[in-house]
Amino acid sequence: MIDSHNGSEPFILFELVGTTYALRSKFIQQMEMIEQITPVPNAPHFVEGVVFSRGQVVPTVNLRARFGFEKIPYDVRTRLIVIHTDNRTVGIIADTAREFISIPVNAIKPPPDGISGLSGKYLEGIVTLGDRMVLILNPDELLKTDF
Amino acid sequence: MSNSFDDDNLFAEFCDDYFAECEEHLTIVRRGLLALDNFVNQPQVASSLLEELFRSFHSLKGMSGMIGVKEAEQVAHEMESYLRALREQQVILSQAGVDALIAGTKMLEQILAMRQSKQPAPDIESVIKQIAAVVVATGAGTSAAVNSSAHLTLKPAQIAQLNAAVQSAKQVWLFEFTPVSTLAERGVNVNKIRDRLQQNGELIHAAPRILTTGGIIFDFVVASDASESIFASWENDGITYTPFELNSPAETENSALSPNTVPLLQEEGSPTLGGLGLPRQNSLPSAAPTTSNVVRVDLAKLDDLMRMVGELVISRARLEDNLKKIETLVPVTELRALRETNLTLGRQLRDLRQGVMRVRLVPISEIFARMQFVVRDIAKESHKKVTLELSGQETEIDKFLVERMMDPLLHLVRNAVSHGLESEDERVRNGKSPQAKLVLRAATAGEMVVIEIEDDGRGVDIECITAKARQLGLIAADATLDINKALEIICSPGFSTREQADLTSGRGVGMAVVKNTVLELGGLLTLDSQPGEGTRFTIQLPLTLAIADALIVKAGGQTFAVPLAVVREVMEIQSLKVTALENNEIISYRGNVLPLLRLTRLFQLPVCSNSSMAVLVVGTGSSAVGIAVDRILNQREIVVRSLTDPFVQVPGISGATELGDGRVVLIIDASALFQLSQLLIFSTPHHPNATNNGNGAKKQPQASTFFC
Repeated sequence: MIDSHNGSEPFILFELVGTTYALRSKFIQQMEMIEQITPVPNAPHFVEGVVFSRGQVVPTVNLRARFGFEKIPYDVRTRLIVIHTDNRTVGIIADTAREFISIPVNAIKPPPDGISGLSGKYLEGIVTLGDRMVLILNPDELLKTDF
Repeated sequence: MSNSFDDDNLFAEFCDDYFAECEEHLTIVRRGLLALDNFVNQPQVASSLLEELFRSFHSLKGMSGMIGVKEAEQVAHEMESYLRALREQQVILSQAGVDALIAGTKMLEQILAMRQSKQPAPDIESVIKQIAAVVVATGAGTSAAVNSSAHLTLKPAQIAQLNAAVQSAKQVWLFEFTPVSTLAERGVNVNKIRDRLQQNGELIHAAPRILTTGGIIFDFVVASDASESIFASWENDGITYTPFELNSPAETENSALSPNTVPLLQEEGSPTLGGLGLPRQNSLPSAAPTTSNVVRVDLAKLDDLMRMVGELVISRARLEDNLKKIETLVPVTELRALRETNLTLGRQLRDLRQGVMRVRLVPISEIFARMQFVVRDIAKESHKKVTLELSGQETEIDKFLVERMMDPLLHLVRNAVSHGLESEDERVRNGKSPQAKLVLRAATAGEMVVIEIEDDGRGVDIECITAKARQLGLIAADATLDINKALEIICSPGFSTREQADLTSGRGVGMAVVKNTVLELGGLLTLDSQPGEGTRFTIQLPLTLAIADALIVKAGGQTFAVPLAVVREVMEIQSLKVTALENNEIISYRGNVLPLLRLTRLFQLPVCSNSSMAVLVVGTGSSAVGIAVDRILNQREIVVRSLTDPFVQVPGISGATELGDGRVVLIIDASALFQLSQLLIFSTPHHPNATNNGNGAKKQPQASTFFC
């Protein structure tokens, strides 16, 4: 899917606790509003439950919980981003998401060594778009089960 | 999308077809090879059988060549060569030949599996050699290790000649001439020998034979009325002789074993697999469909079809709901018509659902055929005589289940043969028949398939398991085990892997995996064992996974579905009738006590204080429990969807469904709830006799090992 003519790749941007994150759009299956989430007992704390989406039962992860932030109630801006990697389909809940942009591959910088710990390992790179800093997430890390 | 991507896709699709087709041929081959065992050392093998095998190997070779799986092509080619030699009666089927064919088939399976998982192909050198060796060795008579004259290939005409000679009171001799240079110097060569033999009798057969050592021997079959003393002096000329006996087919027929019962290992020397469930007459099972009217369908397409049926089921449920809503608004006559239509629709849907389900069903003999090879191998390895008995091979089971159950069943069968069955000596010492027995049974019972693996071995040693479990800290020091508890223990991960490492190192899966797979598939694993008498594992599986009848229940404000198949009874219980016992709760049930599991507690849901609750009784005997829910909403068909993502694989939940309103409803895994409750009250001591059902007293320790 890489557009080889100008070396850029499409991303989806979303917001979480005031920070902008990006995911490669090739991992995104769809985005939707939150409807009915069925809680799953004894699942990891950041797993909100399961939703029925396009004929599939999809587990949903509250990204706030996953990143150690405080959960907030869903509102009209809350989005469920269904990502698909390898053999897994998982929805992540973000504060909001609306943008679709192309990012030049060579603008993506590796995360600075200074970032470590929980947030560091989820990061695949950092890109600055105008005055905005965008953190590119690694979906595989996001879906790891070593909780 | 680039072109290469499309090509890749096309190729991948092609590969899928290839693997599917190979698997089909291998199924035919496996069946054929078992039948072939009946013909070992026979002058002739049923030509239809040979043809079928030949065709399959030929196809395997061709397809593999096309896809570029060179190793498979090569192996199939060698096997084809051997079969051609058999077909043209150049060689007689030897035990080594059958072994080579089996080894080749296994190698093909391995090559395909590796290819499928994109791993490098295994080394085929030794197998190729093994097959090539039998083509050559049997091609000209017999290998050095075998002393039977039956390895000579006589053509029917020659056999007739031979029989005629025998009838005219001639003696038939097999002469073997080994040419060496010293003899050649004296002018003794093969032509001289041939002349000499012809002068003394009727030469029926003459052929050279290449030894594995590289030497050559000439075999001559001669019918002669000359006295033996004449030949004795020929020994100086490099000639040895033995009386020649033709193994008549009739003779073997008489000794043929009863169908479905065959010793897997006989006295050393000539192990035969025999008929293994395939009586001679049926050596080409009629079940083998002719290819012309069979359509191969991708399982994924069937899944799609099943999903669509599932959606129809949901739509009909919606229709029914809506129908209820307008009941009061519609004139009675119209309503009746609508209702009838709705009922008919429901019935037709059920038929459709069953029809689609039937398409997915395959006979369980697909699994059983593989087990035969496994039993044969392990019996050989462990020097045990094992009779394998199969029953219910025609029992049909969902294709998906076949694939998932293969490994667990392999494990149970391996366990049974390697550890469950005693050695021959030990059996004799204990007054048992030296021939051990392993039975694989399958049957359909309602909506379930029951598979049993039963051996007549030493039985599970509960004392030993108890000791081990105490040592590992799995149970309290003063706890005792009944058979159900013992099964639970040997299926706990820590327990089985430990044993795994030293008993069947590196092979198969542990008991924990067996149990998990069965549970995941919505089934049940039970164990019966009598010390010294044997062990029986019973696996109950739902016929199909896709659609099930379920009770829709409410607990703590959340809706759940409980598969109807596991629910034995539904009761309304007053909250006052519940007796609390430390962290357990019990209720009285049919003169007994029943542990009560509250869904709200197990799943940490908000508790509402009703004066009564609904209790679903699940499980049988000592493992029966009551599952308490707030109330039961209704009963309906649900479309089962698995929850495979690790994020939502939690104990007590086996899947999810959707009832037509876009909301997910979780499906309760009743059998896992009990374990979940044990986890939650892990710290409480075990109550030994609450679950003992009386026959525990008979179970005395006997053998020194248990198996798991």
